[in-house]
Amino acid sequence: MAALRSRLHRSLLRFQLNLAACRDGRWLRSFRKYEGTNLIHTTSIFVPSASFMHIPIYHQPSSCLQVRVFNSSSIKDEIHSTTKPREIIDPHRLVEEQISSLTLQIKQELQGASQELYKLVEYYFDGQGKLFRPMVVLLMSQACNQHHDFSQSLITEDQNKIAMISEMIHTASLIHDDVIDAADTRRGKTSINMVWGQRMSILAGDYVISIASMLLARIRNDQIVIILSQVIEDLVRGEFMQLGSKEDESERFTHYLRKTFKKTASLLANSCQAVSILANCPEEVTEIAYQYGKNIGIAFQLIDDLLDFTSCDLILGKPTAADLKLGLATAPVLFAAQDYPELNSLIMRRFSLDGDVETARHLVAKSDGVEETRYLANQHGREAIKQIKLLKQSESQQALINLINTVLTRKK
Amino acid sequence: MRMSLIRNIHRLKKFQCHRVSCRTLFGFSRPDDWNKAVTDAEKVVGYPTSFMSLRCLLSDELSNVAIHMRKLVGTKHPLLKTARGLVYDGTHNLQTRGLIVLLISKTAGLSQNNFHQQQDVIEGILPSQRSLAEIAEMIYTANLIHKGVVNLSDIQPSDGSVHDMELGNKMAVLTGDFLLANASTGLAQLHNTKVVETISSCIGDHVSAEFTGLQDKNGRPYLPDNVTFNDWLNQTFLSSGSLLSKSCLAAVELAGHGLEEQTSAFEFGKNMALAQQLSEDLKPFLKPEDNLEQLTITSAPVIKYIASSYNKHPISLFNIYSQKKILEVIKDSSILSESKTLCNEYGEKAINSLSKFKNCQAKNALIKIVKAVVDV
Repeated sequence: MAALRSRLHRSLLRFQLNLAACRDGRWLRSFRKYEGTNLIHTTSIFVPSASFMHIPIYHQPSSCLQVRVFNSSSIKDEIHSTTKPREIIDPHRLVEEQISSLTLQIKQELQGASQELYKLVEYYFDGQGKLFRPMVVLLMSQACNQHHDFSQSLITEDQNKIAMISEMIHTASLIHDDVIDAADTRRGKTSINMVWGQRMSILAGDYVISIASMLLARIRNDQIVIILSQVIEDLVRGEFMQLGSKEDESERFTHYLRKTFKKTASLLANSCQAVSILANCPEEVTEIAYQYGKNIGIAFQLIDDLLDFTSCDLILGKPTAADLKLGLATAPVLFAAQDYPELNSLIMRRFSLDGDVETARHLVAKSDGVEETRYLANQHGREAIKQIKLLKQSESQQALINLINTVLTRKK
Repeated sequence: MRMSLIRNIHRLKKFQCHRVSCRTLFGFSRPDDWNKAVTDAEKVVGYPTSFMSLRCLLSDELSNVAIHMRKLVGTKHPLLKTARGLVYDGTHNLQTRGLIVLLISKTAGLSQNNFHQQQDVIEGILPSQRSLAEIAEMIYTANLIHKGVVNLSDIQPSDGSVHDMELGNKMAVLTGDFLLANASTGLAQLHNTKVVETISSCIGDHVSAEFTGLQDKNGRPYLPDNVTFNDWLNQTFLSSGSLLSKSCLAAVELAGHGLEEQTSAFEFGKNMALAQQLSEDLKPFLKPEDNLEQLTITSAPVIKYIASSYNKHPISLFNIYSQKKILEVIKDSSILSESKTLCNEYGEKAINSLSKFKNCQAKNALIKIVKAVVDV
């Protein structure tokens, strides 16, 4: 314990030194290697954003960075600065009604399936999911509706459809991922492929996508169809990106962030943009919605990758490291590899030799990989807040800000 | 735009030559009149249909799959066979689906009152209709590939190692998803949400076709006790009729035609698919010397036989009879000639549904294809 504290103290010191360096206009040590690739901007190439391109995100005034790096609740001040300080808005409360009926509505859409097929397609729509994506989408709908016309906070039927579609696309991708990763459990129950076999599961995933696409088409808006079909393409391309790792170390982080955007953030970014378009918002506003979705998505995934190293398996009592076992090098490992270059060969062989996973886990624990990942997640969280604050003040806007904190501080 | 198109055509021609030579090389045989009908029809629509094969095969994603797929050689993973079919176009009738969509597009022509003047019409076909033809191929192929995912708990030692089969599954899932994703973005670009809705429903129909009770969980044909000919009709519509009929309908819709023309196009596709399946199902019975191994218990003659008064065998026995035995049981009844008549009827219905459209080269090509199909 004492050793840990002293190590943490050491790294704190080092970070403060880095921040000092940052003040002199130099890059943070950890990001020096990726100079030029500019971490966050890498994903911007898909939808160039004028408002975002020139923010030197790691050059922010040092006062706002300070030691907060290690404190995940650090951005609390920012969170409550828009409304009365102590007011807590529970993101769930504002959209409770829609969220509680969402699963049922999705199941109704799937009713056309034959009895056998229905059992498979409804398996993951059991109300046990967090429904994180629909919640973001619904809150964004409210925020955009109010931004456009303050008296108008009602979520439209079409916006609600986007919330359903976002969850359906997500679930279909979970089903296919479970087969690809040979998962045996999901949300505490046996995974679909273990119950019905790989073949039927894959087909069930296709069925969900088919119904989601039909639902999408019935909104009768070409632009919305184009935006959401991009998500499906991104998901698949992201999955392909996960097959290989880049040989060049400096490209690896860029590759990882692009993959993260495609696999997680694209769905949130594009769904948020879709509901803002449905709110008749002008382009500047739909861009804000997109940027919020993109940044909360990347932050969400970074925390997910970090928890893989920090949360403990209930039975084994040690970090789960599921990603390492799948051969995937996520942010904590990539950061750790800067301190311990010996990790590079393990990354290249996808942790396939006996003891690789254990070695990697050990080196990540010894390095600042986890803290640096959290720092990066905080940066994205901060950017999301900065974006959403550009909208007119509303309860939903505050809820979206609070949601960032929930994402950054979640333990599982 | 036009330059790249010409370049593409040039590339396609090379690809076509390669395909044809492979076909001869590997001895794929099809009746001459069928080949002739298809080759003539390809000339009518200007240039061959399936760009999907090229554009997708040349993508980074699929070349990645190809590298991994080398490891599958020697296993019995279905993905290998499907991939072979994709390149050599041997047994899967890959190109005809798109070809029919193009022919029906040209047959229907463009409606008068239209918005599509600004599009580049080549050989009387809109670019959006050509995309649609491509998308139909992609959706069909994606389903073919996803149906080839194997249940790891049911594999035999002779199929290949669990590790290899798992890799094969991974590649199959990703390749199929890649095609579906491309289909999805391609559909969105058509700027017609009704078409998006119609064609998306085909993906679901393909899935439903695997849950009709005429197959086990590994996709092998299975005869339930209460089987009727309606089950065969339902199965055939879901697995091939849906995509063909709905793409024909959508092609006509893209040219701005109304409900009447759309219905005709739909009917053509539906009856064409039924005739085609019936003809395929009959082949092993009529030419057992070449095609006996293709005989399945869920084919139209078997189901018709079981549902008829000729049948003296318990249904469950058909699930275990050999192909030879089934052939013997059915051969002597009048089921085969009844099935042939039915096949002709579907062919006629298909041709009749074209009567609303004016006579033209494309329509003749469609009629020839139908006639080649029903000629078993």
